[in-house]
Amino acid sequence: MSMAKKNIANNPERTEGQITRRNLLVWLSSVGLFGSAVISIFSNLVFIKPRATYGQPNRFSIGKPDEFPSGTKLALDQQRVCVVRDGDKLCAISTTCTHLGCIVAPSDTGFACPCHGSRFDQDGNVTGGPAPKPLPWYKLTMAPNGELEIDKSTEVPAGTYFNV
Amino acid sequence: MRLALAIASFVILIVHGAVFYDQFFNKWERHQTAYFDQARSMAKTDAERAGLEGRSPRIEQLIVTSFGESRVDRCTTCHIGIDDPRFNQHAQPLRSHPYTEDMGDRLVNGKWERRHKFADFGCTVCHDGQGRGLETVFAHGEDHYWPDPMLGYVTQNWRADFKPKLKGKEYMQANCALCHTDENFKRTPLVAKGRQLFFSTNCYGCHKIEGLSTGALGPDLSEVGKKFKVDYLWESVVEPRANIATSFMPKFNLSDDDVRALVVFLKSRRGVNFSETSLDRYRATLNKENKGKGEAPAVAVPAVAGGQPVTSPAAPPAAIATASLGEKLINDRSCAACHKIGARDGGVAPDLSFEGLIKGDKWLMEHFRDPRSLVSDSIMPSFGFSNPDYLAMTGYLMSLKTPPAFNNPEEFYKNTCARCHGDKGDGHGMIAAYLDPYPRDLTKAGFMNSKTEDRLMKSIREGVAGTSMPAWGRVINDDQIRQVFNYIQTTYVKDPRRPLKERKLPETNPVASSRESIARGEQTFLQRCTGCHGKKADGKGPNSIDILPRPRNLRNAEFLNSISDRRLFESILYGVQGSAMQSWIDYGLTEKDVGDLINYMRSFNKPKQ
Repeated sequence: MSMAKKNIANNPERTEGQITRRNLLVWLSSVGLFGSAVISIFSNLVFIKPRATYGQPNRFSIGKPDEFPSGTKLALDQQRVCVVRDGDKLCAISTTCTHLGCIVAPSDTGFACPCHGSRFDQDGNVTGGPAPKPLPWYKLTMAPNGELEIDKSTEVPAGTYFNV
Repeated sequence: MRLALAIASFVILIVHGAVFYDQFFNKWERHQTAYFDQARSMAKTDAERAGLEGRSPRIEQLIVTSFGESRVDRCTTCHIGIDDPRFNQHAQPLRSHPYTEDMGDRLVNGKWERRHKFADFGCTVCHDGQGRGLETVFAHGEDHYWPDPMLGYVTQNWRADFKPKLKGKEYMQANCALCHTDENFKRTPLVAKGRQLFFSTNCYGCHKIEGLSTGALGPDLSEVGKKFKVDYLWESVVEPRANIATSFMPKFNLSDDDVRALVVFLKSRRGVNFSETSLDRYRATLNKENKGKGEAPAVAVPAVAGGQPVTSPAAPPAAIATASLGEKLINDRSCAACHKIGARDGGVAPDLSFEGLIKGDKWLMEHFRDPRSLVSDSIMPSFGFSNPDYLAMTGYLMSLKTPPAFNNPEEFYKNTCARCHGDKGDGHGMIAAYLDPYPRDLTKAGFMNSKTEDRLMKSIREGVAGTSMPAWGRVINDDQIRQVFNYIQTTYVKDPRRPLKERKLPETNPVASSRESIARGEQTFLQRCTGCHGKKADGKGPNSIDILPRPRNLRNAEFLNSISDRRLFESILYGVQGSAMQSWIDYGLTEKDVGDLINYMRSFNKPKQ
């Protein structure tokens, strides 16, 4: 069989550019191999990022709005977020210091970091110390079951309140 | 060649594509997309719309650290509408979890509030299943090797005959009871019923559950729910020998409802209790011990039976009430699961159909309280019922005075003796395996013909103390005993009896019992006897397992005290034909040595006061 193929391949009557059986097969093979190579490279790249990690979930529920009366400034240490309510306006401010990641504590004037003395005002803007950036605000929404949900994967600009 | 290469490369491409599709286009993404689409179309207010903004499919997980080892429950990845009341009529997996008052959910201002919030409790703590699973087959625990399939929902490749009975949400009560351990918690009626059955059907007599019972005959069930799935539990209750071939647990023939309650109760025994600390558990066991040593909850006893002594000539109505209460107790407490009473036969323990004839009420009372005080190797558990209950049961048993019919010795043997001694007379009767000492092999002519007729007839007439052989003299007359004996002699022993050699034996022990004599006897015993009779003289020496009949348990006080010195001298000096006991006179033991030995044996078998 290979002899027969060779004879066809060496046939001088065939002109260049014409699609021979050989060319077609070579083309098909290379598409197949190249395609699978692309897919495997792509899937390997996707695999690098874990689909789930075992930390605290980014979106979590904190309870009904009634549980936070006006004037509340409640820091949830485990979730590293501070829930602030003023009248009907609610917001969630991160309590992770933007300097080196300590947990900042709510103070009379805003927030204060115990590690290197960074200070933030009520809205999380830096008022002193080494912190380079203001504390981020997180998206606060109402889940269908009537509970407030904080989504730490979505930051919102400071001053964006959720109205009860 | 090139064609093959082209085909191969295309196959590789297709396989790659399939793997890629399988890995990156998950079912749960479709469920989530469907949920978001429908939720968006349902959203009425801006707030609702804002909540859905930017949501895209991803793995949702709850990490619960409050219950034992921390749990990762990804159930909400598919069941994403679980806490969305708008989806309460939707098809699974998007349907929201039902609200029920049974779970403590409350209706406040027309809106339901959950008592068990999913963020705090997760899912698998109640439902079981595999929290990390992202495919139905794994997440629900349908895989045979997953130990906790979703309770009452998923049956794996279980036995077809009771597979359907293992479905139903009532099975989840077993998991409620992990935290709600109160004895009569309202929301877990099946656990309470199972607990009550555990006592009323006498499971506790043989099985131990920490803090509840102390039985030692059967396996410890303290952690049985952790080790086994419900199908195994069901099978073990219904067919004890299905999983452990050597089990002698009786078949209790319970109704399906009772078995279900027992299975739910057993499934709730996981050894861990999330609601209490180890200190709480320790306190609970202390309290239990102080309350009374594993005493069973008393069955309601009418005042008339309370404290009525059965021995006194009681007024007839009271005696009848006692007996009928006793009958009720004996029926309810599943005595017939082991014993034979009338038509019901458990096939494990002796026939009680005419117990009133062969035993006295004192014996029965004492035997109820502690079976091993009278039959030292009995396997009957001490159930620890209340005294009035025992009195009532004794009263009932004492009323069973109908002797078995005696038409001819053969029939009598088949109806009564064969239960232990076997149809072939070889001692392998139906219940023989549960008796210790083992019933006598009547076909062993060497033994049977080496003993006098008088002695064998006496064993039949008066029974053998400390064993399960009852005194048949109270059931049949001497003439009938003679007939039975002749029947045994001709049918099973077969060899004709020859006159026995007269042996010179002392009637009573000539060696006076003294500390020195006992010490010498112990010395001889340790040198000569322990190989078979064991160091503790309990008949469990290293050679004993190869020997039938088994070496005698010399700590069986009832037995030892019932036999004469003369018989002990005979057995030791001249051996016991047809058994492994040899003639020790041939091995240099003198009458004085044997006297010391007997003093030693008598020293730890003091007669009861």
